[in-house]
Amino acid sequence: MAAEVTPVTARPPVRPPVSPPVRARRTVRRKAKSFVRGAIIVIVCVVALFPVYWMVLTTFQPEQDSLTYPPDLLPHGIQFGTITSLFANNPIASWLLHSLTASAICVVITLVFAIPGAYLLSRLRWHGVGAFGFLLLFTQLMPGAMIVVPELQFFRELHWTNNLLALGVLYAAFNVPLGCWILTSSFDSVPSEVVDASLVDGCGRIGVLFRILLPLSKPGLVAVAIVAFFGSWNDYLFAAAFITNQSMYTAGLGISTFITDQSIKLDQLEAAGVVFALLPILLYLTVQRHVVRGLTAGAIK
Amino acid sequence: MTAVLDPARGAAAPRAGRRRQSAFPYALLVPILVFEVVFVVYPIIRGILLSFHQTSFGVTKFVGLAQYRQMWHDPVFWSSVRTTFEFTFIMTAVWITLGLAVAMLMNWSFPGRGFVRAILAIPWAVPDIPVVLTFAIMLDPNFGILNRFAAFIPGVNHHIQWLSAPNLAFIAIIIMVGWKGFPFFALILLSSLQAIPDDLYEAARVDGAGPLRRFRSITLPALRPTLGLLAVLGFIFSFQQFSLIYLSTGGGPGTDTSTLSITIYNQAFEFFNYNYASAIAVVGLLIAVVGTVLYIVVQRRVTRGRRLEGVNAAL
Repeated sequence: MAAEVTPVTARPPVRPPVSPPVRARRTVRRKAKSFVRGAIIVIVCVVALFPVYWMVLTTFQPEQDSLTYPPDLLPHGIQFGTITSLFANNPIASWLLHSLTASAICVVITLVFAIPGAYLLSRLRWHGVGAFGFLLLFTQLMPGAMIVVPELQFFRELHWTNNLLALGVLYAAFNVPLGCWILTSSFDSVPSEVVDASLVDGCGRIGVLFRILLPLSKPGLVAVAIVAFFGSWNDYLFAAAFITNQSMYTAGLGISTFITDQSIKLDQLEAAGVVFALLPILLYLTVQRHVVRGLTAGAIK
Repeated sequence: MTAVLDPARGAAAPRAGRRRQSAFPYALLVPILVFEVVFVVYPIIRGILLSFHQTSFGVTKFVGLAQYRQMWHDPVFWSSVRTTFEFTFIMTAVWITLGLAVAMLMNWSFPGRGFVRAILAIPWAVPDIPVVLTFAIMLDPNFGILNRFAAFIPGVNHHIQWLSAPNLAFIAIIIMVGWKGFPFFALILLSSLQAIPDDLYEAARVDGAGPLRRFRSITLPALRPTLGLLAVLGFIFSFQQFSLIYLSTGGGPGTDTSTLSITIYNQAFEFFNYNYASAIAVVGLLIAVVGTVLYIVVQRRVTRGRRLEGVNAAL
C-alpha cells in the first residue's frame, strides 16, 4: 500500500523486477534511512552552530544566568538592554567607525590594484608572469607575524602609526593577491571570442578591460570587495602593533581589551562580540551564493 | 562601435595595437609592483637586515650571526618550532577529516540543503575576536558549558581548566581553530564530491559494492587531487594563525601553545627584542617559502601544469 504512495524514482533498468512485499520492505528501509540522515544532519548543525547560539544566548540572558554552574541550555529571561548599555558605556561606536574607515580604504585600494593585477594574470602574455604570481602567492601565504616588526619600524619612520589611512594601506598590500586571484578567475570565465571580437572592433586593451571584462565580472568585483573587507575587519595583529593611541582603536583592538578587563560584565563582553561579528556574517549570508565558488573556480577544476 | 566606422582609427589601430602589446603589460605592472615591493618586499628585506644587528640603549651594531647562534641554543625557539609543526599537522588532519565528513553529509540530497550549507559555513565568517570571547566563556572552568558536557565522561572532574592546564590548552586551541576553519574545507570538498558522476556509484552498487568499498574505490581516488591541495592549504592556514591563539592563551601555559608567530610577537612586544624576533621571523619566512613552493608544485600537478593559479578562496 505504502509502495503506491511513494514516488517512483529513476532506477537503473538492470534491476530485476521485485515482488510487492520486497518493494514494501524497501520503502520502509528507505524511510528509516532518510529519517536517520535527517537526524544526523540536525545533530551536526546543532553541534556546529552551538558556539554561535551560545554567543547570542550570553548576550541576551541576564548575566547571573551565564555565571551559574551547571549552565542551562535555554534562557530563563531575555534582556534587550545589554547592547544599548554597551554602546552607552564604551566608545564602541567610534571603534566600529575606525574599523569601517580602515576597511573602506583597504577595499578601495585592493580593487584599484587587483583589477590590473588580474588583467595581467588572466589575459595578457608577458615575460615574468610566473615571478609576479609567486610574489603575490607568497604575500598571501606568509604569516603576518613574520613581517610585523620591520613593518612597524618602517611605518614609524614615515610617522604613519596611529593612522587609520596607513593601516588601510597596509591591509590592502596583504589583500591585493587574493583580490587578483578572484578577479583572474572572473576574467578567465569571459569567453575569449568576446574579447577577440572587441579587439578586432578596435577596442584597445584598456577598452577591453573597461568595456568588456569589468562589466561581465561584477560578482567577482563584489567578492574582492567583501574579501578585502573581511581581511581588514578581522585583523588584530597589525592594529595592536600600529595603533597605540586609545582614541584611535579599531573595533577588534578595543574589544580585545575587554578580555582582560575584569570590570566588563559578561553579557556586555559577548554583546561586543555579537556587534563585531554581525556585519561579516550578514555580508557573508547575502553573498555566499556568489562567493562560495571557492577554489572550484580557480585552482581545482 | 564608433571605432569600426572611423576609417582613420581603423587603419591606425593594428600598428598601435602591436606596439602597445609589448609595452602595455609592463605599464600595468609598474604601479602594483611598486605597491607590493614598498609594503611587503622592502619590509621583508629590512627584517632580514634586522636579524644581523643588535640594538641596545639606542645603539645599533652589526653582530653577524649572533642572533642565530642564540636561537640555536634557545630551548624556547625549538619548542616553538615543535609546537608549530604539531599544531599545523594536527590542525590539517582535523580540518580535512571534519570537512570531508560534513561535505559527505551535504552531498546527500535533502530538502533545505542550500540553507543548511549556508548556515554551516557561518563559523568561517565569524571574526577571530568573537570566536575567542565565546570559547573563553564556553571553556571557563567555573561556569563553562563545555565542562558540563565533559562531566559525562567517566572520571572527569567538573572544573577543567581548559585554557590554563598543560596539554589541555593545546587541545582547546585545536577545538577552537578547528571549529572556525572546517567550513572552508567542507565547501571545497563538497564541490569536488559533486563533480563525481552518479553513474560510477550506481554501477558500483549494481556490482555489489558496499558503502565502505564505494568510498574507498570511488570517492577517495576522485578526491585525491583536492585533498592534496587542501593538505598544503591546511598547513599554510594553521601556520598563519595568530590572534585566535594569542588572545586565548597568549602562548601559554608556559610555552605550550607558543607557535612561531606567537614567539616572535612575544619577543618583539613583550621583551622588545626586535632583532632576535626578526631572526626567528627569518626562519618563519623560509618555512613560508617552502609552503608556497609546495602549493605551486601540488597545484601544477592538479591542473596538469597549465599555469599558476592562486588560492582563490577566503570565504
